[in-house]
Amino acid sequence: MRLYMKNPQNVFLTGFYWAFVAYLFVPLMLMTAMSFKDSNFISFPIDSFTMKWYVQVVQDEQFLSAVGYSLMIAFIVTVVATAIGVWIALLASNEAIWGKALIFALACLPAVVPGMIQAISMRIFIRAIDVPTGTFAIILGHTVHAVPFVVIMAMTRLRSMPSNLVDAARDLGADNFIAFFRVTLPYLGPALVGGMIFCALTSIDDFVRTFFLGGYQTTLPMLIFAKISGGMSPEINAMATLVLIATGAIGLYAERRVRRSRN
Amino acid sequence: MTFRNPTRRSTLKMMGTGAGLLAAPSIIRPAYAQENVLNITTYDKFLPDDFIDQFENDTGIEVRIRLTDDQGKQYNLLAAEGSDPTTDIVTVAGHRLSQFMASDLLQPIDPSRITTWDNLAGPYKGAPQLIRNGEVFGVPLLAGFEGMVRNTDYTKKSDSWDLMFDPEYKGFTTYIISDFLSITMKYLGYDGDFVSYVGKPEEAQAATNAARDFLIEHKDMVRKFYDGGSEMQQMLVNEDVYVAQGWSGPAAKLIMEDFPVELSIPKEGTYGFLYSFNLVNHAPNVDAAYKFFSALLANPAVGAAMTRQSGFASAFGGVDKLLSDRERAAIALPEEQIARIQFFAEENRDMKNEMIDRAVAEIKAA
Amino acid sequence: MTKDVLAGSGQGVKKGRTRYAGWIGTLARSPLYRGTIGLLAESRVARLAALLAVPLAWIAFFNIGPILQMANISLLANYPLMDGDEPVYTLSQYALFFQESLYFMPFLRSVVFSVAVTAATLIVVYPVAYYIGKVIRPASRNRALLLLLTPFWAGEIIRVFSVIMLLANRGAVNALLREFGIIDRPIPMLYTYFSLSFGVVYLIALYMLLPLYSSIEKIPNSLLDAASDLGAGPLQRFRRVILPLSRDGIVSGCSLVFLTTIGVFAAPLLLGGPNTVIFPEIIAQLFHGSNDKWPAGAAFSIIMLLISLTTVGLFVRVVGGRNVKLM
Repeated sequence: MRLYMKNPQNVFLTGFYWAFVAYLFVPLMLMTAMSFKDSNFISFPIDSFTMKWYVQVVQDEQFLSAVGYSLMIAFIVTVVATAIGVWIALLASNEAIWGKALIFALACLPAVVPGMIQAISMRIFIRAIDVPTGTFAIILGHTVHAVPFVVIMAMTRLRSMPSNLVDAARDLGADNFIAFFRVTLPYLGPALVGGMIFCALTSIDDFVRTFFLGGYQTTLPMLIFAKISGGMSPEINAMATLVLIATGAIGLYAERRVRRSRN
Repeated sequence: MTFRNPTRRSTLKMMGTGAGLLAAPSIIRPAYAQENVLNITTYDKFLPDDFIDQFENDTGIEVRIRLTDDQGKQYNLLAAEGSDPTTDIVTVAGHRLSQFMASDLLQPIDPSRITTWDNLAGPYKGAPQLIRNGEVFGVPLLAGFEGMVRNTDYTKKSDSWDLMFDPEYKGFTTYIISDFLSITMKYLGYDGDFVSYVGKPEEAQAATNAARDFLIEHKDMVRKFYDGGSEMQQMLVNEDVYVAQGWSGPAAKLIMEDFPVELSIPKEGTYGFLYSFNLVNHAPNVDAAYKFFSALLANPAVGAAMTRQSGFASAFGGVDKLLSDRERAAIALPEEQIARIQFFAEENRDMKNEMIDRAVAEIKAA
Repeated sequence: MTKDVLAGSGQGVKKGRTRYAGWIGTLARSPLYRGTIGLLAESRVARLAALLAVPLAWIAFFNIGPILQMANISLLANYPLMDGDEPVYTLSQYALFFQESLYFMPFLRSVVFSVAVTAATLIVVYPVAYYIGKVIRPASRNRALLLLLTPFWAGEIIRVFSVIMLLANRGAVNALLREFGIIDRPIPMLYTYFSLSFGVVYLIALYMLLPLYSSIEKIPNSLLDAASDLGAGPLQRFRRVILPLSRDGIVSGCSLVFLTTIGVFAAPLLLGGPNTVIFPEIIAQLFHGSNDKWPAGAAFSIIMLLISLTTVGLFVRVVGGRNVKLM
């Protein structure tokens, strides 16, 4: 990472950043090391190494289909939650609306409710409105949980947006809708990317809502929790390592494309 | 008149509406109650793939499996679904059976409809733990107990729960509070299963309080209160604890892996429980469930798979022969120790649960 | 960037007649769109309705609906109801919370713990967000963020177990210390407030990082330069310019972290010890203990919900000050 200028504070900050990177990565590197252990339990020391867990995981249809299913759900959740979240943020940041504070607080509710309570109440609720459990219910549950993150991220950014920006666009003849797409949305950019990351993350990582709302198709966290209850085996670490490598690679690829398209 | 002489158009309209009405629920409602489906909620690797494939081929019934990791969640899901369950068979651990029953979530089974019922090992045919009001609830799968687990490198041999309170291991013990509270009551000479306290709430409360105070007094012994078997395994493996109260299954799995761990039943005794497949109340596919039970008991390999996965002893006959020496050794205990197991009873559950739960909260908050 | 946007959308525009390229143009020319916009332009009510409809419906249905279910359960004397039971309503579950120190103390502990974790996360993450937003070149920012994002995809439970592998008696830290002869008996680090905080910060740092980054990144460099030109030292610059201008990010980051921490159960609790029992554990026990009491669990959740939302509201008011229009 190249710096603007070298001065003592920046050197300190650089050090701090890399220390933080280490904080995030060292425990995971231990996990990855464990995935090569030739035993049914993870523990130090690692006496003998094996690739058998990876071979097993890569051939495990249940794992592959769980990953695919989780990805599909996360994708839909991200799209829907972002749209609704931005919409709510626009509403809650509109000067003319009465009761903005209340709307905001209510919009944030699902982020506060502990997962299990939300899962149970959602399960009872969808039964009351006659929505069957399954993929649709999972997506609904995840979206409800994800929307507040988008709202909070979008509002942080919206509040600092000079209102004359939109006015200027209107003066130039853009109607509200066009002004939104051409001015507001690009301004929201970084916050939205953050919000979308939250959506995808909370969806892919969610176990308890999925368990209560899902049908008989297994998502990745469901598979991992079920496996852990039989003992923490290196197989689970191998799964996590593969997921990490895949997401890292996708991220790098996306970052490259973004950089190229800018140049 | 229109009824008598329907025009072509009105007929078409009526048929269309009827078909639409009939189709609507099946479009939005996945087929939980289809004829050839069976929904099972169970643990990972309890049902081997080849057994399921075989069963599906033989009967034409599609088996759908939802994996669970925890009794509490399984219970909550069923309770939330109420009279409209999406599962036919659940896997219940014996110490939780009364809770499922109290909420009316299970229905009794009729052993005579299970053609292979006699393949159960002797003690488990009509095991009293699964009988309530003369009716059988569930097909027994596995038998387990709450044992004392110790690291043989760092601790001395002991035939008493004393080890859990030995100052030498201060900060190196762990237990599941609710389970160990009952054992502590037994250890202190009270009735930890509350069977003898029917109609004597004061006596029961005094006994519970005594055990509670004893545990609070020795709270500094404890490294962690745990919930799941894999937590206990990991703590022993990482040497975060040396002595634990633990379920026999997870402990036996460590022994199978040659960790320096010993499982025993101390002289003060302990409690035992069964895992069983239970038929859910209002289950949509009861007939398929009976076919499944019959196929299950005909197949000792399934029992062996469950034992390997869980570490608990199988309730099916003929499983022993399918286990390796090491697996058998991990599960085996001396006869005199086995005799110390007392199975959970069915009387007085409400009083027991009420008092134990409160004491658990008090121990946690202390 | 905003200049480009305006220039782009303003090209060839005459008042009242718009010409756009691409899909927006196609959309803008379609009769359906024109009709809708016409209606919206004419009627203030229609404009409000369009803005309000979806958000309000969503909030009313999916945010409030399930909570009402919970509220309903919290007022029942018994749940689940048996076939044929008549529901009996009572407020006793709520009274229970205030009567019993048994429940009240863990709640206070939970609030204090969440505040501490939020503060710790802020202190740890702020320099990192500042470094990415202001110190390194803009071209490197995405990569620097990406590096920090990757570990979060491993999943919560895996990350918890990786913290266990780090801090256990036979974990990596103790092994290293023993290897170098610094200690001969392992230091018990797991199952303490230390490991719990270490793990929770580890799990939720991202919730602080992204809002902070998004608000620090947009502070104009010209302001920082101006402050330097006027002779402000680094500390003064931070206190007078950077901190006030990143207040939005601090407020929303802290809100996210606090709200998430106060409701955590499951995975992070695997890292706590016998003396770190916090409120969500009590609620969990009420829901799936062997003697489940859904009404009490539901009532406690609702109390927790109200108090934590109020706390965040007050925090936003106090820290955010007049200028913050969040609430």
